[in-house]
This record gives sequence, structure tokens and C-alpha cells, in this order.
Amino acid sequence: MKLGGVAAICAAGIVSVTAAFSAVNAEAKALHPPGALPEGGFNSLCIKCGKCIEACPYKAIHAASFEYGSSVGQPVINAREQACRLCEDFPCIEACPTGALSPVGGRQDVRMGRAVIDEQTCLSFKGMRCEVCYRACPLIDVAISIDYGAREGDDIHALFRPVIQDACVGCGLCVERCVVSDPAPAITIDPN
Amino acid sequence: MEISRRAFVKTTAVALASAAAAGTMSALVGCSAPSGSGTGQTTVAGATRTVGVCRFCGCGCGVIVESKDGKIVAVTGDPDNQSNRGLNCVKGYYLASVLYGEDRLTEPLIRDDKSTKGTDGGLRKATWDEALELVSSKLKETWKKDKSRLAFWGSGQQPIVEGYCTAKFWKAGLLSNNIDPNARLCMASAVVGFMNIFQTDEPAGSYTDIDETDTFVTWGANMAEAHPMLYSRLTARKINGTGVKHYDLTTLKTRTSASADKVLMFKPGSDLAIANAIANYLVQNNLYDQAFVTDHLQFKQGTENIGNAFEDGYDASDVGKSVDAVQSISFEEYAARLAPYTLEYAEQISGVPAADIKELAEVFADKSRKVLSLWTMGVNQHNRGTWMNHCIYNIHLLTGRYAKPGDGAFSLTGQPTACGTAREVGTFSHRLPADLLVAQEPHRRYTEAIWNLPEGYLDAIQKPGMHTVKIFREMSKGNIDFLWTAHNNWAVSMPNLTRFLGRGDKKGINDTFIVVSEVYPTLSTQYADVVLPAAMWVEREGQFGNAERRTAVFEKAVDPPGNAKWDLWMLMEIAARTLDGEKIGSKGAFEALFGDWYDTETHDFKGDQREVSRNIWEEYRTFSNPDLNEKAALINKEAKLKMENKQLAPYDAYIDDHGLTWPVREVDGKWLATKWRFCDGKQEDGFDEIGIQQYGKQDLAGGVSFYKSGNARPSVVFRPYEPPAEMPSAEYPFVFCTGRLLEHWHTGSMSRRIAELDRALPEALLDMNPEDCAELGLKDGDMVRLSSRYGECEIKVSTAGRTSPPHGLVFAPFFAEEALINLVVQDVYCPLSKEPDYKKTCVAIEKL
Repeated sequence: MKLGGVAAICAAGIVSVTAAFSAVNAEAKALHPPGALPEGGFNSLCIKCGKCIEACPYKAIHAASFEYGSSVGQPVINAREQACRLCEDFPCIEACPTGALSPVGGRQDVRMGRAVIDEQTCLSFKGMRCEVCYRACPLIDVAISIDYGAREGDDIHALFRPVIQDACVGCGLCVERCVVSDPAPAITIDPN
Repeated sequence: MEISRRAFVKTTAVALASAAAAGTMSALVGCSAPSGSGTGQTTVAGATRTVGVCRFCGCGCGVIVESKDGKIVAVTGDPDNQSNRGLNCVKGYYLASVLYGEDRLTEPLIRDDKSTKGTDGGLRKATWDEALELVSSKLKETWKKDKSRLAFWGSGQQPIVEGYCTAKFWKAGLLSNNIDPNARLCMASAVVGFMNIFQTDEPAGSYTDIDETDTFVTWGANMAEAHPMLYSRLTARKINGTGVKHYDLTTLKTRTSASADKVLMFKPGSDLAIANAIANYLVQNNLYDQAFVTDHLQFKQGTENIGNAFEDGYDASDVGKSVDAVQSISFEEYAARLAPYTLEYAEQISGVPAADIKELAEVFADKSRKVLSLWTMGVNQHNRGTWMNHCIYNIHLLTGRYAKPGDGAFSLTGQPTACGTAREVGTFSHRLPADLLVAQEPHRRYTEAIWNLPEGYLDAIQKPGMHTVKIFREMSKGNIDFLWTAHNNWAVSMPNLTRFLGRGDKKGINDTFIVVSEVYPTLSTQYADVVLPAAMWVEREGQFGNAERRTAVFEKAVDPPGNAKWDLWMLMEIAARTLDGEKIGSKGAFEALFGDWYDTETHDFKGDQREVSRNIWEEYRTFSNPDLNEKAALINKEAKLKMENKQLAPYDAYIDDHGLTWPVREVDGKWLATKWRFCDGKQEDGFDEIGIQQYGKQDLAGGVSFYKSGNARPSVVFRPYEPPAEMPSAEYPFVFCTGRLLEHWHTGSMSRRIAELDRALPEALLDMNPEDCAELGLKDGDMVRLSSRYGECEIKVSTAGRTSPPHGLVFAPFFAEEALINLVVQDVYCPLSKEPDYKKTCVAIEKL
């Protein structure tokens, strides 16, 4: 049974439950697997076959629920649960029959989205020696770098501020690893 | 076996994290809460404040603990602890959860069937009475039959009064020196270096040196990850100062290298050659401090070509017995020994460009700069670790850069109380409290005076006992009948686990009666015959002494869960039962040693934890306050022990002042700390005024006086370059370096049970050079088999670059039991310190 079919049945099953849900919750923005063509291209080519979902060795990809609005059924990643691990051979792209996920040059060429830090809740911006996101990043010093600075009112300690660079591919490992959870991780992915 | 850590992790209440967030944030933004426990504002309404110290690394960050309804509800940085002034790292930040892992040990456990050792089953619940009777009967049996077959393996995480009493029981009660701490695996090389050079243990300077220096030199130390708070302090100095520079000498690029100004990447083991080349450059070009040399130094050389302790018989061999010998030489002879260490020779050995070594040497010569060297395990966990400590000090002594604000050589300590307990209390096979040694007659007399033992009583322990690697080697051969371990996790942290866990051909561990005091189930408890559930951290009152000699108290905040007990109570019970019927002089043995503090009839202490701790402390501090004991004062004077050089204050001062750095001097009724030992200046400014008045000399070069050293002269000892125990070969082409990363503490038994830290770093990875991977057909995320002549393990590869090894080197952390890297690591050790080299095992890597 095609996974897309399963997704459709599940989707139908939870329509009534989530109908009220989507009324109050903002539409979740879809973080698609690596190689996803920019939005229009992906939407027209993705047939929701589920092959990329099967192919992912980390089970990072799942079928989008109704919260994703019109993206329902498409492959999406919840980085907080399981980030994309940027497998060097990109089995998800390999498995895609339509080219909705198209080959990329290498890890650095992935364009899933870009990380965004909430400076209000980020521990590192307060001077706490955290920077877990920085050290977790598969493209350390390239996608996330540290901006060292003076700490207000403290002459003997510094700030180690993680800064997201343009090279960020949006894999979301930083989101998965962020130690802050209340009310939400201090870092999120803004999908492309 | 894949162990799912998340099964053990109990996500602490969201409220916990929020409270901590609110509290620490306010502390961070400089909202100074008034000091003192019990009083002052709390972040959680209605909570009780107590003063504490972080459970984790040697930074020794102060914390304020808030508890309510019997649970810790918030932990925030303590702005009044001068070691950290309110800052914690992410490990300290989540401390409140560390007590609440789902699988906390709360009942004594006994293993009836030894064949279940090494499995996660086989332990059944028991009453304390049954467990204590079993343990003490086994201990007594071994003690009476052959006490060379019993041992205690302690820790640099064991609180001070507990360590003191353990040492007293073992050395004066059992008359055994088979007691050694896990600090043997981390600081021993530094300790032997200190004793060889200065005749006193521990750094002369303080963390304030970080704020004052112009140049940082990190030697094989990943401070960014291993001493997070100190690295923040170092970074602040670089930002706030002008022209402050940081040189990082390392065998692989780390997060420390990432922010250094210059990285000198050297071939493993060649640090000796680099250091000697710097010293040579200074001497040849007359750039050393002549006045300092004249006033303060003596020169020596020692036994060389000392080989490596591959064989069990090494220590007893002719070479092994000669390693400590030194002879006096002249300065000219020292210069002649240095001469072969040209910049070019050092480049040849190390791969570091001669120009870079020269630049660093010029920095040491630059009188307009202050220079602070910092090091930990890269230098200590080294087959010539003691020698490497010598070589760094040689540079600093030649240039007069020691014991002065901003100018120093700072041997950083990794564990929270390796200084305060293992080293200062002497839970080592060759030590007594306060730097005293079992082998020295006046030291034994002094100890007898304070412990009220008959004169000559301790002559029975004048011969040092077994050091750590020896204990485990002997156990593997079936020569240890009784082993008791506490505050460590040897089944994960010892090297050469293939041998020691009985997975090779030596299986003595199966027959040894092993007692493990623990808070959580670990791989070590899987080999225990008895598991004793212990109170953890602030579930009892304790004391830690950190890397800058700051002793601090952590108050009891909550009760231990279930039937978990204070380690000190377990010790008293076992000591009482084991020593039952024994005498010391005319007194009952237990009564003589512990009678003032513990009542064997009621099975309880005489007083609450505060009172008991205070009373034990008062006896302990007599070692450094000889005027409190007439006999001791006399011996101190006659034998010129100068015991006051480590002077400790009365107990309550440590609580009131949120920690004090020794020597602490009483001046006009106040207790004043010392920041710079041996440095003249006002005591109230942190200088060693009183010490120098008492034993030293003023107006010497540099304004320092090394009154504790032989002839008041520290020793510059020439130590040559000798290679690592093994070099890469066709069979084992990679050098395997091991260490710590920020998120986890040691073997992870505590930090992996904190949900946030487990999430932050859930698995241990083998960092590899991407080109090495390509050559082996490896990709990021592949599983590999790591094998050495000692053993093998499986681990996942990473090319993410958190640490970036050069060709031929790989790195992995040791916090993950399921990637048991110490199965692979050599147990070859520095012949002088007996500390294993965890940094240079040669390995083969193959894709699985």
C-alpha cells in the first residue's frame, strides 16, 4: 500500500479532529527535505509517494499533517524531533521519482531554510556558556559562527553569541539540540 | 548493546527550568542577591536558599540552590563566589535535575551469583544491615589474611571531610596504603611536577591571573569545552584588554583553537621538544631573567631513557626504580643539555614551523608582556607527563614568570575537588594529609600527633601502596580480593578496559569482591558484589576545593531519596564493624579514630551534618595550623615542615565568605585569603605577606620568596624529549586522542540523565579528518571498528569538525558507555606519576 494512500486515509481520519485545530493554530510552515525545489516547483512535482520518507535512515521525514494546510501529505521535517542529518549520498533525493527533490552538489548546497535565533531566550546571548547549537552544527564556523563580545556589567566574562551565516542550509540540527524548551527552543528554522 | 539513554532521563518539570532561567538571568544581569543561606530573595516564592558549588568541573563555580517541599526547584550562579561571580555554564545551569533521574539508586543491592557480573541483572535488594555486614566481613577477612589484597579507589569528586575520614580509616585504621583516587588519572603528573619542583602541591596563582595577563598560552588544553567558565574569563580579557594574545599549542584543532590568535599544531608527544626549544632560545640569546635565576633557582637533571610501563613489572624493574632520581647540575650544564634543542630540531620533531616556536619564545622574553600558561590533560595524561610539567615550569622559572599577578604557569585541575580532597587530604597510595608523605619519618610523626596515635604507629605504612593502574592490573590477575570504589565510574573511565573488565584473557575481576558506592546504575555497578546507594551532591553537606585552591562548602538542601545514605555514614558503619575488637594503643581502634564524631551504639553521628563537618574540619585543619596541637607544633618546628603554607580557616568562614583560597590567614580576627602564594605584598590584597614574614625573605628578584622549596629554591630540571609509548605503524596507523566535551561530565552517569544535556549531545562520535575518511571510504555518520593492540570498540564517525584532527589523528569523548572507547586505550603511564596516557594510543579504523 502506497504510503501516500496511508497518509490520505490518516488525513481523512483526523480531518474532523484537526479542523477546529487549524482554525486556532497558525499554519505550520513546511520544512521540506534537502533538494526540494523552491516552493512552486516542489508543489507541482511532489506526488506524495512517500519514497523519500522510506529512504531516510534517520526517519526524519514524515507526511505533513493538516496543520500544514495545503502542504498536507507532503514530506516535511520536524527539526526539533529529528533534524535532517545531511547524509552525504542524500538517499531521499535519490529515491524521489519526480525530481521534486533534486540533486544538490554537496551538503553546503542544500537550501532547506535558515536558522533563526531568539535572542531573548537564547542562553548564549546572556553570557551563559552554552552555544550548543554552534558545536552541534555540521557546518561549524561556516553556517554558525561565534561573535565574541563584552558582557554588560561583568568585566570578567564574555558573550559567546552564535550568529547564523548565509551559508546555513537549514538542516535543523541546532533546533534539535537546543537545551531551551520553555516555551520553545531558542533557535528555529525559517523554511525556504 | 544499544542503551537508550532517553529511557533513563526524566524530564524535569518545565517549572524547574523556568525558575532556573529566571533566577540565573537575574543573577547574570547583575541583580545581586544578598549573600548567606536562608536569607535573601529567591526566584521561587517560598523556597529556601542554600550556598553550594557546582557538582561538575574544576572551575568550581559557586551556585545558590533553592529548595522547596523537599525538592530542588532552582539552581543559579552565586554572585558572591569569587571563582565565578555568578556565571555557570550549561552543565551548571541544569544542575537542579541531576538528582532526579528515574533510576536513582535508593536501596542497597547484593549480587549473589558472581556469574551475573557484567550484565545489567543479578543484583537484589538488601537491607543496610545485611549489606554493611557483608562488606565489613569481607573487608575484615581480607585485611586479616593479606592486606595487600584490599584496595579503595577514591576520587577527585569525593567531598573533603569524607576523603579525610576515608584516608584516616585506611591509613591509620587498616594500616594500608592501597588507597588511590581517580585523580591519579588526571592530575598525578601535575602533582609530581609540583613536588619535584616546588616541594609543595598546587598552583601559586589564582583565576585573577586570567584578568591580568597579556598573553595566554594553552598547552594541550581544550579550555573552551573543559573549563567553560574560565574560558569565558579568558575571552573577556582578550576583548577588554589591549593587544592580548592567545597561543594554542595542540595536537588537533578544537573550539579553543577556533578563538586563539595563533595555533601551533604539533605531533603527539613533541610538546617536550617545543618547550625545550623555547627554553634553549631564551638561554642562548640571554633572554632569561638573570636576577631571578640567581635569587631563586637550582638546576638538576634526572634519569633518562626510562622506557614505558608496558609490563606489569616495570615499577619494580631497575629502570622503574630509578625514575625519581635527580642530580644537581650547574646552570651552564643545564644550558649545555638544552643546546641540541634548536628551533630547527624542534620543527623537525613537532612539525611546528621554527618561526612560530621562535615567536612564542620571543613572547616569553618580552618584558612588556605578562604571560600565563594553562594546561590540563594534554600535558598530564602523557607518557612523559611529569617531564612535560617540568618543561613548562622551566620556561616560566627562567623568565621569572611565576607566582605573580598575570605572570604564571597555571596547572588547571579537571575535577571539582581533586585539589580539595585527593591532593590536600592525601587519598593517594603515597600521601598523608597536607602534602605529607608516608615515606618521610617526620611526616608520619606529625600525623601521629594530630591523629593521636602512638609514636611510631604509622611506620607500618612507610612503604607506598598500589597506585591506580597497579590496583587494576593486579585485580585482573586475581590478586585483589576486596575493592571498594566511590565517586567514580572505573568500568568506563579506566584505560585498557579490555583487560580490566575481564574481556581479554585476564578475568580476576570476576572473583574480586567489589563494593561500589553509587547514585545511579553504571557499568561499574554491573561488576559490583554490593552496591551502596549514596546521597548525592546537596543531599548532604560537603566541601570541594577547586583549581584555584578555593575551598567551598555546599550545604545540605534536601534529603536523599529512599534508603540512600550519606557516604560518611557508610564509612563509619563499615569502619566500626571492621575495627570491632581492634585496638590502637590502649583505646578501641574505632573510638580512637572516629569516636568524637560517631556513636556506634546509636549508629549515628554526634550532632547534625553541620556540626560533624565542622568538628572533622577542625581536626583536619590542624595539619596546616600546627599551633592548635602542641606536639605537632614541635615537630613542625624541628623538622622545618612549614605546614602553615597551606593554612586553612575555621569551617564557618568558608560558608560565610562563599569560599576562600588558601593559605587563609587570621588578621585582626578576620580570615584573609591568599591569591598569590610566595608573592610579597599586602595580605588584604591577596599576597602571601604572612607566609613570607614567617618563613620567607623579602626583596628578592620579582618580589617572590619560595619559602617552601628546598633551600628556598625551586628546581629547574632538564627533561629530554622521549617519544610516545607507541608510534603509528602499518597495523595501527592512527593516533587516538580522548577527552571531554562541554555538555557532558566524564562518563556521563550524571549529565546524560539531565534531559537537556542528553538532548544537546546524545552520542559520542569519532572526529576524523575528512581526507582520512575519503581514503578509507568513510562518510560522516558511518560506523567503524576502532582497534588497538589493547582492544576494540565500535563508534560513529563525524567529519563535522567540532574537533578537527590533522591527518593521522582521531578524537573521541568518553561519556558514552555504548561507545566504550577505553576498551581500546593504552594503560601505559608516566613512569614518575603513574598517570596513563589517554591521548596517544595507536589504532586501526575499519568501516563496519
